Amino acid sequence: MEPPDIEDLLRELAPQVLGALVRRHGQFDACEDAVQEALLSAARQWPDGGVPDHPQSWLLTVASRRLVDEWRSEGARRRREETAATLDAPALGLVTERDDTLTLLFLCCHPSLSAPSQLALTLRAIGGLTTAEIAKAFLVPEATMAQRISRAKESIRNAGMRFELPPESERPDRLRVVMQVLYLVFNEGYLASAGPTLSRADLTTEAIRLTRMLQLLVPAEGEVAGLLALMLLTDARRAARTTADGSIVPLDEQRRDLWNATQISEGVALLTRTLGTVPVGPYQLQAAIAAVHDEAPSAAETDWRQILALYEVLERVSPGPVVTLNRAVAVAMVHGPRAGLAVVGTLDDDDRMAHNHRLEAVRGHLLELAGELTAARNSYQRAARMTASLPEQRYLALRAARLAD
Amino acid sequence: MKYMIMTFGSAEAGLETMGKEWMLEMIQFMRKLDDDLRKSGELVSAEGLADGSQAKTVRFQNGIPVPTDGPYAESKESLVGYWIVDVESEERALEIASRIVAFVKVPIEVRRVMDAPPEF
Repeated sequence: MEPPDIEDLLRELAPQVLGALVRRHGQFDACEDAVQEALLSAARQWPDGGVPDHPQSWLLTVASRRLVDEWRSEGARRRREETAATLDAPALGLVTERDDTLTLLFLCCHPSLSAPSQLALTLRAIGGLTTAEIAKAFLVPEATMAQRISRAKESIRNAGMRFELPPESERPDRLRVVMQVLYLVFNEGYLASAGPTLSRADLTTEAIRLTRMLQLLVPAEGEVAGLLALMLLTDARRAARTTADGSIVPLDEQRRDLWNATQISEGVALLTRTLGTVPVGPYQLQAAIAAVHDEAPSAAETDWRQILALYEVLERVSPGPVVTLNRAVAVAMVHGPRAGLAVVGTLDDDDRMAHNHRLEAVRGHLLELAGELTAARNSYQRAARMTASLPEQRYLALRAARLAD
Repeated sequence: MKYMIMTFGSAEAGLETMGKEWMLEMIQFMRKLDDDLRKSGELVSAEGLADGSQAKTVRFQNGIPVPTDGPYAESKESLVGYWIVDVESEERALEIASRIVAFVKVPIEVRRVMDAPPEF
């Protein structure tokens, strides 16, 4: 096996081994450390020594041993657990394994943790990433990330959270948080402006991998399938979305031959299987909108009527100013820029949009389409001042400057 | 999201006019703050800057860059130090800044670092 394959294997096994260990010993935090060390040992030994016949048992054994070592060094008060830890690894049933990984996801995305902690913990405990890798991806010092992770684990311990699936009644809410965390990880991957671009793109890949895993764990959940489809259909445009120097290329100017056709067909197939079989939700609808864009042979041939219809449903299912703003663009493409601007105008008094640059960016775009170039320029400039994204600020400032000529 | 929390001041306002007790308390406060931010996993970096009187400003004069003495801004106050924190929300950044303001009793500027993903 080549090292990259070994890495994939290790990351796939990470949550299974951790789940088995926590199930046996409790103490999520200590088990998590032990599994990380076992993964590191494997990453060092397997490329030269070969992959063991039962890699999962190997990891479980090594991790258990680490746990025992740790407890031994902590003294005799741990003796009882120590005895338990030296017992042979039981055979793992497939159902248990699946539930374990899901339980771990719920634990790492516990609503009592802050969003940055949920992200970091999920990437480490479920994704099998090292603290250094996570720190690099989020552009913070490794010590900061290590502290964030250990704090998160401490919160879990102090809250006395148990290693079990949340009761049925809480499942939908808890699953929503898990999806949110995965979506945040995905979005983080977009950021290509600052620091090492490569590792950011890896976050996108990692989010897709984890969502794919979640989708296999809960195949009946339409929104999880929707989220996966949304990620695939959005990420499919990655290569076309920016130029070599990191500048943004808007959707209508992207080179569609650069889009990833395999990912698009996977996303569309997943969506087709899902839509209509389960209650429709916001992720499925957003994925459906992304699919309409992805399937258009050119920007001019985009089926905006269908996109508008989907936004109308989305606004009913999950109303909010951002959805309204997106609908405004669709309205403009179907009924003309003035109609779109009227919808944008309904958001002017919405406090939630007061500091959102997108309102002015969209207004600028629609004013430009309507031929009101001076007003468009002002809107682009206001939007450029409000955004916290550097590539976006440059893009908006350039649009404004272009209209001055 | 990352925020830069900036403190402004001058040597006269800080080092020279305040008493020993205040200085010691200040040092202790800053140590504790950095320690807390490190423990919470929010501290990206924190630096104090040499006094503004030591600053040089490079200006564009007669077609060439020319170094001159003094900070860029004309006012007596200049940047004396900053923290960059990676926090969950703007509220949290303001909470940290408020803790500093409650102690130093001078204004603190809180500014978002350009780290948001583009939405296009």
